[in-house]
Amino acid sequence: MREIVAVVYREYLIQTTSLMWIFFELAVPLLYLLMFGVAFDRALGQGLMVENQSLGYNSFFLAGVLAMTCFGNALNQSYGFFVDRDNGILYEFLTYPMRRSEFLLGKVLFQCGMTVLQSVLTVGFSVLLLGVSVPWSAALFIVITMIAGTAGWFFFLSIFAFTIKRNDIYNTVINVIYFLLMFLSSVFYPLDRVPGWLRSLSLLNPLTWHTDLLRFETVGVGTLSVVMLEAGAFVVFSVLAFWLAVRKLQQTG
Amino acid sequence: MQTTAAIEVNNLVKVYTRKNQPPVRAVDGLSFTVQRGEIFGLLGPNGAGKTTTIKILTTLLAPTEGTARVSGCDVVRDPLGVRKQICVVVQENALELHLSVRNNFRVFGRFHGLSAHEIQLRMGRICELFSLTEFLNAKGMDLSGGLKRRVQVAKTFLIDKPVVFLDEATTGMDSINKRATIQAIKEETRKGRTIVLTTHILDEAEVLCDRVAIMNHGKLITLGSIHEVKGAGLRLLSLTLTVREATPSLLETIRSFQPVSVEIRNSVIEVIMRDEEETLRLLAAARKQKGFLHFEITSASLEDVFLQLIDHQTGSN
Repeated sequence: MREIVAVVYREYLIQTTSLMWIFFELAVPLLYLLMFGVAFDRALGQGLMVENQSLGYNSFFLAGVLAMTCFGNALNQSYGFFVDRDNGILYEFLTYPMRRSEFLLGKVLFQCGMTVLQSVLTVGFSVLLLGVSVPWSAALFIVITMIAGTAGWFFFLSIFAFTIKRNDIYNTVINVIYFLLMFLSSVFYPLDRVPGWLRSLSLLNPLTWHTDLLRFETVGVGTLSVVMLEAGAFVVFSVLAFWLAVRKLQQTG
Repeated sequence: MQTTAAIEVNNLVKVYTRKNQPPVRAVDGLSFTVQRGEIFGLLGPNGAGKTTTIKILTTLLAPTEGTARVSGCDVVRDPLGVRKQICVVVQENALELHLSVRNNFRVFGRFHGLSAHEIQLRMGRICELFSLTEFLNAKGMDLSGGLKRRVQVAKTFLIDKPVVFLDEATTGMDSINKRATIQAIKEETRKGRTIVLTTHILDEAEVLCDRVAIMNHGKLITLGSIHEVKGAGLRLLSLTLTVREATPSLLETIRSFQPVSVEIRNSVIEVIMRDEEETLRLLAAARKQKGFLHFEITSASLEDVFLQLIDHQTGSN
């Protein structure tokens, strides 16, 4: 545990050297909601029918923004490995008295703290300013799903960060992956009216599982049994990604 | 008194394989032992396999074959056990560039289990030892290359791990800091710490190391105390001749004795010879030459021996 705390302490010291960075981290999800969400909400007028439920676009999109926040945070944190590698410090870290898994867990724990702050702000903003109705009873579940999501995506992206040595190639690969994951998912639109092939692919996408879970928690869309299945699948995906990331880190040297 | 070795390396092999390229045996059947409290130098030209060896011993790389133990812990079976016994200055400049020097020390100390109070106490002593006090609030990114390296080395003296690995630790340091670092390393071994260092600055190894291993192409060429290595098989001698002028006739006489090397600096000629008798015969011949002033015979430096050993091995390969 001491080792994980040391990694969190290190992340805290580094991230707090730039308050500008923290501000943007916190503001980006709000900007998404404000610009993208509000614009679509107006454009769609009467809102969306999702699983026989009428919803404003802001309400629908809130889960998508939260899922993207987790992905974005995980992406930022995984990119840190390139900075550490360029500074040479990554190799020194790997000689410190800690397990590779503790290093990864410490990194993600700090980022989860940021995620919790972002979710409170984003959900609060949606409720207070955009009129989205989120039940208080869901707050704890939303926080847990946000933490699990950030961790799962971080482990997934870390696999690429440890496999790809050049950060420009990493950026390109991740941009393509991010694009596919976002548009083959339920982040921006409901899947019940998209073409069959797109729906089939989207249902295999962990971002869909994560978004659907958040949507169920925030605005109550979805069936409990399906959402539980998706939650289970996301946990399996995260555990697998963690195992692979640790293995990849063990091979880094 | 503890008799167990600090490091035991047995028949260590590391083969790098890359797509469409022949495999490279970076370490090829290496075996040696380092005793507790010893300063052990791993020497060799670039690409000799020193850093790969250090990477295996510090659990950054897994060996292809063979075994290595650090403080009794196997590097493959118990890497965490090894990491609990070591601290390492890696070859790369490794510093948190966005953090101040003070926070670099704090982070390093935390990772190695020191409390905030202990870090504060030790930091003062270390900064004084390495003349870093005035830079405590400077960010890593604002330091010169030599200063970055100094902070990196100083960090390892903040903690009390029994085995210290220094991979080209003094690279980029000026001579004053290099001397301070060497002094600090010597002091640490008096406390019973074992130090393994790689360097290509052989004067440094000569001053510091109790024993050295010379590697080339992943293989061990020779191993022993500085005295033993200098005397190993080749028995090189350095004959320094001071003359009024290095005349062509004198140089021809010197070359006729087939020396290992000849270096001419104005009126001083340094000749490295393989054999004692030949050296004396050359001296006698040189004294007969016009303008001869002075001579000195010493055992050759580690650098001369090193170069000769590498040449010898490359030739036999």
